[in-house]
Amino acid sequence: MAHTPSPGSTPDTSSLPAAGGLSAKGLRAGSIGLLGATVIGISCIAPAYTLTASLGPTVAAVGTQMPGIFLVGFIPMLLVALGYRELNNAMPDSGTSFTWATRAFGPWIGWMGGWGLIVATVVVLSNLAGVAVDFLYLALAQLFNNPGLADLTNNVVINVVTCLVFMALACYVSYRGMETTKAVQYVLVAFQLLVLVWFSVAALVAFGNGSAFDELAFSPNWFNPFLVPDFSAFAAGVSLSIFIFWGWDVTLTMNEETKNPKTTPGRAATLTVVIIFALYILVAISALMFSGIGTGELGLGNEEIQGNVFAALAGPVMGPFAILLSLAVLSSSAASLQSTFVGPARTMLAMGHYKAFPNRFATISPRFKSPGFATIMAAIVAWGFYAVLRVLSTDVLTDTILTLGMMICFYYGVTAFACVWYFRAEAFRSARSFLLKFLAPLVGGVILSVIFVTTLIDSMNPEYGSGSNIGGLGLVFVLAMVLFIAGVVLMLLQRRANPAFFQGKTLTKGSSKDL
Amino acid sequence: MTRVANYVVAYEATERGNEAIELGVALARLTAAELRLCLILPRSSAVPAKVPSSTADFDSLLEEQGREWLAGAAARVPADVTASTHLLWADSTSEGLIEAAKNFDADRIVVGAARGGILNRFSIGSVANALLHASPVPVALAPHGYRAPAALTRITCAIGTRPGWEALLDSMIALSNGLSVDLRFVTLVEVDAAHGRPAHPKPHPPQAGHDHAGSAHAGSAAHLVAVLDYFRAKSTARGTVKTEVATGSSVEAAVEALGWDPSEVVFVGSSRLARPSTIFLGITANRMLHALPVPLVVVPNTHPHPAPPTRIPPTPAPPARTH
Repeated sequence: MAHTPSPGSTPDTSSLPAAGGLSAKGLRAGSIGLLGATVIGISCIAPAYTLTASLGPTVAAVGTQMPGIFLVGFIPMLLVALGYRELNNAMPDSGTSFTWATRAFGPWIGWMGGWGLIVATVVVLSNLAGVAVDFLYLALAQLFNNPGLADLTNNVVINVVTCLVFMALACYVSYRGMETTKAVQYVLVAFQLLVLVWFSVAALVAFGNGSAFDELAFSPNWFNPFLVPDFSAFAAGVSLSIFIFWGWDVTLTMNEETKNPKTTPGRAATLTVVIIFALYILVAISALMFSGIGTGELGLGNEEIQGNVFAALAGPVMGPFAILLSLAVLSSSAASLQSTFVGPARTMLAMGHYKAFPNRFATISPRFKSPGFATIMAAIVAWGFYAVLRVLSTDVLTDTILTLGMMICFYYGVTAFACVWYFRAEAFRSARSFLLKFLAPLVGGVILSVIFVTTLIDSMNPEYGSGSNIGGLGLVFVLAMVLFIAGVVLMLLQRRANPAFFQGKTLTKGSSKDL
Repeated sequence: MTRVANYVVAYEATERGNEAIELGVALARLTAAELRLCLILPRSSAVPAKVPSSTADFDSLLEEQGREWLAGAAARVPADVTASTHLLWADSTSEGLIEAAKNFDADRIVVGAARGGILNRFSIGSVANALLHASPVPVALAPHGYRAPAALTRITCAIGTRPGWEALLDSMIALSNGLSVDLRFVTLVEVDAAHGRPAHPKPHPPQAGHDHAGSAHAGSAAHLVAVLDYFRAKSTARGTVKTEVATGSSVEAAVEALGWDPSEVVFVGSSRLARPSTIFLGITANRMLHALPVPLVVVPNTHPHPAPPTRIPPTPAPPARTH
């Protein structure tokens, strides 16, 4: 233990004895049970936020076939998540699409995979903040019984500045390395589930007593995804469904932290998806029965309310208790906003560390031990993205969700193929390998690619999404292209500035055979 | 075999962390103790986010960075002090430090308290603050910009009249046993325009405010005599011992009124609000901090470590002198 302070001496970084609650590793091993893991799974998905953001765009794409599309949309998510889990088990020291894709395909595709993940999270950050802003003013209006307050969100300057405040707060909390405590997570999840069920029951009761806005009788056909009119609509619907289940895969990768790593993650993931399925189907059906798919004031087809359906429906459906729904969505999106900062910041940190991003991204705050610079950059870019879009688009939330669906398809697809390629040597070794390391991710990757290409082509139509367009091209297409081209340009700039990563010096390509 | 004292130093790669090392070095030189430079990293839990936060990846990068930081910390410790470095994971920095102190059987935790406040020398950071409310061992706080002197030459003990002052004194006796260091016992008396009242590093009942300035001063002086008797009966320290009563319009002013030597440290007891064997910084001690230019050591009510085996001093302590 003695130390001679000669320059460059290696410090004795011995660990304490394992007793006393301290472990040599960062993960809190064996602390999460089935209930805890399920709560985390549901928090990841943030159902109240997800539903308000996706119900409108999904109805616009597939109409009454929404429940069926929700069911089908889970399939590619499941297939890719199975591949995710295999990669996570094989390379436990690295956990991002960036490192996995780089290991499998080399630096160029790896870089774009990381970029896809960062862009998707930055876009969802801006959408989360946008939804939080809407519901903040709605909750204030309900609280003070002054509908005028809810209109403040339509003032571009107020909206963008409020969004900045939300971003800054969430960024600060992440920068300080604070985490939401378990108790808060449990309360938020229970509150969301309770209020969403309340909303559904109230909508069904209104339907029953004839006070619904646009009564639409239930039909079992709603569950048949093949009644969707054309493939473009189907692809758009599946792309949105991937967004609504986004986050579910996190449960599967919680290994060491769970009390029984062999069974808990799988059971928690199953329980999570059963709860989420039940909830989504219930809310989707009750919203359809209450509002219909017309373009009337409260119709789900109304472009004015599509980006944020609950904001419009809360009052008519829940009456004086509408504020509960506002609070559920506000808390869900604010909590998700804060926790979602962690992912892209850490991916950027890893990319900085491997010289794929400028070195500054690799800096860790000595006080808070968080990826300081990367966290602040994520906040600035996400807010900038939102601010630009708020000015350009007539319905910023709808357009960001559609862009987001595409981005998620892209980086999930890259990760799925990375799994297939990385495990190519052992794919046919056993039935289990064949299914989980080859077939599932391959089929998942192919589905996502088809969805990605189809939505990309369809989004060129100026009528796509909110109908905003630039030079006759749909805004969603322009956005996606700008984001991808920006990625390629930044990649080439980084290649010029510091080629080490691109020459395979920092992170080497390999396959499961090398291990 | 004599137990070698060891101090947990709360290191972080900032000026605050460096100040903690400096104070650790100063205290280690005084008592021939070893330093355990501890860097606490946050143990991450599953973040409920849409994107996996890749904890394994981040943790390994954080660990790598932590080792680099600790190498820098080790290089700051001069050759005459023995130090080891430790990278630890915990839910919070203060929990990690307390856990480390327990596992190392450490005698105190040394932490840089300053946050870089310009007006106040001490502005307690969140980690130091958490430690001051929960640590089972004494906590040593380094003021802003602290640098270790060649040797600590004086220990000042700010002592109150409330029950429990003996615990502080016992800890002083244990620490100064056989050392050649000057000792100074002080009480602080707060005097306001109407009437003075003695202020001790402990909260006190309102009726104390009815005393007059003169009687408060006299009462404090008398108390110091009792303190001195208790100390003389047990101590084997070599060095001068003196007492002072400081008066001022506020605790801060009373602290300013005392002369301070850059090569001294101050000991105070913890508040009666503390659970046994943990620290809770009292109101007066908290206010003292704001004016104090030298390091402060806060001692829990009952020291959890048994006093080290009493060494029989070769010569009787030199006659103490009262000021």
